[in-house]
Amino acid sequence: MTGDTHYDLEILAELAEGLLDDATAVRVREHLAVCDPCGESLADLAAVREMLAAMPVPAMPMGVALRIDKALGAEAETRKAGGGLRLDEAPDWDRIMGDSPWETAPSLPMTASTPATPLVPAARPAPQPAPSLPEPAVVGLGVLADDGTIVPARRRKASRRRSWAMPVAASVAAAAVIGIAGASVTMLSASGDEVRPGDHNLALPPAPPSVSSSTGALGPGSTTPGRSYVISKSDFNYSSDVLNGPLATYVGATGPGSDGAPSVDPTVVRCVTKISERVGKRLHSETAAKPIGVDQALYQGNEATVMAFWKDRLRNAVWVYVVDSNCANMRPPAVARWQ
Amino acid sequence: MNFPPDSPPAAQHAARSASSDADLLTSHIGGDPHAFSEIVRRHRDRMWAVALRTLGDPDEAADAVQDAFVSAYRKAESFRGEAAVTTWLHRIVVNACLDRMRRKSIRPVADDELVEAAERDTPMPDQTGERDVSMEVTAALKLLPADQRAALVLVDMMGYSVEDAAQVLQVPTGTIKSRCARGRAKLAPILSHLRNRSDLSRVSSAKGAELRDG
Repeated sequence: MTGDTHYDLEILAELAEGLLDDATAVRVREHLAVCDPCGESLADLAAVREMLAAMPVPAMPMGVALRIDKALGAEAETRKAGGGLRLDEAPDWDRIMGDSPWETAPSLPMTASTPATPLVPAARPAPQPAPSLPEPAVVGLGVLADDGTIVPARRRKASRRRSWAMPVAASVAAAAVIGIAGASVTMLSASGDEVRPGDHNLALPPAPPSVSSSTGALGPGSTTPGRSYVISKSDFNYSSDVLNGPLATYVGATGPGSDGAPSVDPTVVRCVTKISERVGKRLHSETAAKPIGVDQALYQGNEATVMAFWKDRLRNAVWVYVVDSNCANMRPPAVARWQ
Repeated sequence: MNFPPDSPPAAQHAARSASSDADLLTSHIGGDPHAFSEIVRRHRDRMWAVALRTLGDPDEAADAVQDAFVSAYRKAESFRGEAAVTTWLHRIVVNACLDRMRRKSIRPVADDELVEAAERDTPMPDQTGERDVSMEVTAALKLLPADQRAALVLVDMMGYSVEDAAQVLQVPTGTIKSRCARGRAKLAPILSHLRNRSDLSRVSSAKGAELRDG
């Protein structure tokens, strides 16, 4: 109450909500009957309710819906895997997987004739946002430095809270998909199969070459003497779904026809070499395995290098490694279909 | 190679559409990989509206709703059925928002593109006057304490009953009424100049009824 003459807005609002005791309510009502300013205040209060009710009801923007589908897709994968380990806990996959026979890895269809494993449902309705779509580019929280530059997210540390839920669309940070020229053709003749991109119900993102061409200086791929594989850079944001394969359209999409000599980070080359040796060992080979494709890209919104190695050509199976800038696995190495 | 249809058979899908939220949640707990998606599809717009209005920022709201849905996905077993699934979902979303408001100081980045996208996707009334009203209301709401804002969003903006809001926020109905009253009292002087700018009584009663009935 303001002085003896008027009641303040809070009292009037409480009156309207029926919160005042009877005696007070009667007194305020009597006052309202004779006091224009207080009547005006009461009308203001009613107008507030009207204005709030009149606010337009927004629909969830598509970009947000996609993000959520993506996050739930990752969640579903974790659940499928037993729920014991979460990506944001950045387990040492090399240690965990080190002694495992490959066959104990999550089983995936190995042959071209095997029906595709149903993909994670939550993510399914959402077409993979590709960099060329006008989708809002969402940068994961915690990867933006104070000066506005994008800092490669570090697993374990950066943005731990959100790492399970990286936004679908990635920033335009350069990423590289490393494609192997001719590998897919070889594979096709080996399996006697043919490429039928239309078979996929997934909305495929534009092939890396078209993406890369828009990024100009980065160039889509490069080979240098002494390196037998192509390192490409795509802006493509890989999801776990995509990494189940078929991968030929992604990791293998960049051919040697793409010219330009982008500077390939030597640390990436060293990492590929390291992983190649590891894969070679796992295949009980004397020599390092040769990657089919290497792609500097994104994995769930984080900068990543995706590598594919043949596990079994005839069975259309490849090993997929996804590593961060420190060459640490961002997810367990897994088997995927190539075609 | 012959890929099976990526989506479940139509009949199955139809059955899912007819299921209640509680049935879907039960299916989800039982391992149905599609059930939770259907729940999300049904309620995401409403959850978005609650979060956007509570937080007043599309970027924050997106994070909050995402946190909330993932949390609901994980905690589905904790749903005991004493409340409606929607109430439970609202509670998780509102709590995610309140949680976010409490630690707002650590928010590192605003995403302009997301903001723009949200604005683009938000149906704007064709009268520019109303757009101003909408922006001023959003700005004014941000001045309120979190608990009052949350109550006003649910009751006045979303049109839920005081009882429903009390269930969502897990406080007595009297507390909801009191928070609404105090919140409106704070907003009234800020928004009073808007009162005569547009024919609010006409516009809002229709819309308000629509909100409440919807």
